[in-house]
Amino acid sequence: MRPKPTPQELEQYLYREARLIDEKRWDEWAGLFVEEGEYWVPASRGQPDPDNHVSLVYERSLLRDIRLKRYNHPNAMSLQPQPYSVHLISNVMLDSYDEDSGLCVVNSRFIMLEYRRNEQLTYGGATTHTLEAAGESWKIRVKKVELVNCDSALGSIQIYF
Amino acid sequence: MTYSNQDIAEMIRESAVDRRVYIDPEIFELEMERIWGKAWIYIAHESQIPGPGDFFTTELARQPVLLVRQNEDTFNLFFNRCAHKGTKVLELESGRASLIRCGYHGWTYKTDGSCHSITGGEEAYKSLGLTKASPCMSLGRLPRVDSYRGFIFASLAPEAPDLRTWLGPTATSIDNMVDRSPEGKLEITGGVLRYRHDSNWKLFVENLNDMMHAMIAHQSSAQTARVIGNRLFPKGMTPPPEVQILAPFAEDKDFFESMGIHAFENGHSYSGGKTSIHASYSGIPEYEEAMKKAYGKERTNEILSLNRHNTIVYPGFTCKGAIQTIRVVKPVAVNETVIESWTLRLVGAPGEMLHRSILYCNLINSSANIVGPDDYEAYHRIQHGLQTEGRRWVANARYLGAETPNEEGGYSATGSSDMVFRNQFRAWLGYMVDDRAGSRERAS
Repeated sequence: MRPKPTPQELEQYLYREARLIDEKRWDEWAGLFVEEGEYWVPASRGQPDPDNHVSLVYERSLLRDIRLKRYNHPNAMSLQPQPYSVHLISNVMLDSYDEDSGLCVVNSRFIMLEYRRNEQLTYGGATTHTLEAAGESWKIRVKKVELVNCDSALGSIQIYF
Repeated sequence: MTYSNQDIAEMIRESAVDRRVYIDPEIFELEMERIWGKAWIYIAHESQIPGPGDFFTTELARQPVLLVRQNEDTFNLFFNRCAHKGTKVLELESGRASLIRCGYHGWTYKTDGSCHSITGGEEAYKSLGLTKASPCMSLGRLPRVDSYRGFIFASLAPEAPDLRTWLGPTATSIDNMVDRSPEGKLEITGGVLRYRHDSNWKLFVENLNDMMHAMIAHQSSAQTARVIGNRLFPKGMTPPPEVQILAPFAEDKDFFESMGIHAFENGHSYSGGKTSIHASYSGIPEYEEAMKKAYGKERTNEILSLNRHNTIVYPGFTCKGAIQTIRVVKPVAVNETVIESWTLRLVGAPGEMLHRSILYCNLINSSANIVGPDDYEAYHRIQHGLQTEGRRWVANARYLGAETPNEEGGYSATGSSDMVFRNQFRAWLGYMVDDRAGSRERAS
């Protein structure tokens, strides 16, 4: 049994995760996920599942591998110049914690700036992390990102929220 | 400047077009009036308005329109503006309404468009001799609406060839998509992806049957998928659908040449046929069984072996029969275009078929995927590159004159030919300089 995580512990975990994205430390970031960990950005509000409805992104390890490897591909036209991001994470709340399974669900809010070639785009939304206990820390089972404007016509999004 | 027909005609050569067709706002305005205001433009699929009162709102050539089902057999398409003050009467994208009510002054309309009630009564219009039955009190109807196998199109021109004739041989791409349902029925489901591009609409419409770009522009994603796929699923193992979908974009030039392209009247075209990037997906046995039961073995093989890549119904509707998705082009400005991707469920087919279509849309059509952004980037750079005054012409010269007549009454060419672009601009010119009297007169 593991004690209930403190707000500060969760905040630091989410800050670090976001920082790994902003600093493009992709191997470390991918290492935060469990083997089949999901990253899901629904395309509509309240979307029940990723199989019967389109999503902006629905990735598990295979697609994550492909995306991350592509970041270093010399001929990725849309990554020249590179995009850069800054995440602000806030409103971190523990939604549920199961002592027996060590599974916790954390809700937070974010603003992300994605900058590329003289254009800065702003995204915001709510993120739900389903984390499972792994040693002293946590691994991500699901990271679900609900963009406030998920159903609008968006331009290219090239960085993780 | 104001372009004369002569000026416009001089912009289109057989082997090249003037760069201004992509970057000049005045040309864009003329296109809205003369191409998008005359051609048949896709509105929606009948499955989106299944019951009486079901409505769907969208835009045709930037004009808000409102599709509503009156009864089982009839649906109507109106300009989405109140007869009173011009307010958009319905703002939600879809829903159900027994009466259509304007939120501003409360006028109501029946689903046939006629005025049901005027707030405060008709008396206010007595001096003009008007009642709520007067035509100017009802919702304005679009000049022409028709549907082909469930796909509803409309035209702002009262004079237009009928939809089936106008579709020409590309109707068979729609047929094939419908025939892939064991019940011969499609249903739009699973939401929509909207991707905003900062480029001219024609760049997207050309790109779909540009067989030269995939192996270059999509190398970074397709080749990576192939390398990782080969590592995780060595020879003898079936790679998962993600790899099956992404990897073929990195096929070699010979493959894309052999897919072939086919062009028809009105600017329409399709690529692929016997083979395409969709040809090697794993079979889904339960689906094939359902198909054989419905159509017999021979007909099933005939339906499933037609592997077209993209079909373009010029200017604004594109479909992929083999994967049951459509992409709808919505021009916003000379350098702004929204592309909508919709998924169709094959009624009577197992859920896996829909899952594959959804996966395909996520991987290829989402604005946050790893394929679309490279297309987006290419269009962006064309839009920027064409600002240069150093060269007037954009070449469409590959394999000029090497096309051959095909059995469907159009022309076919090797995959990397620019024939499809030349054919689109032939139609473009036809629309743009055709000023027959009345072709643009609206129904009052």
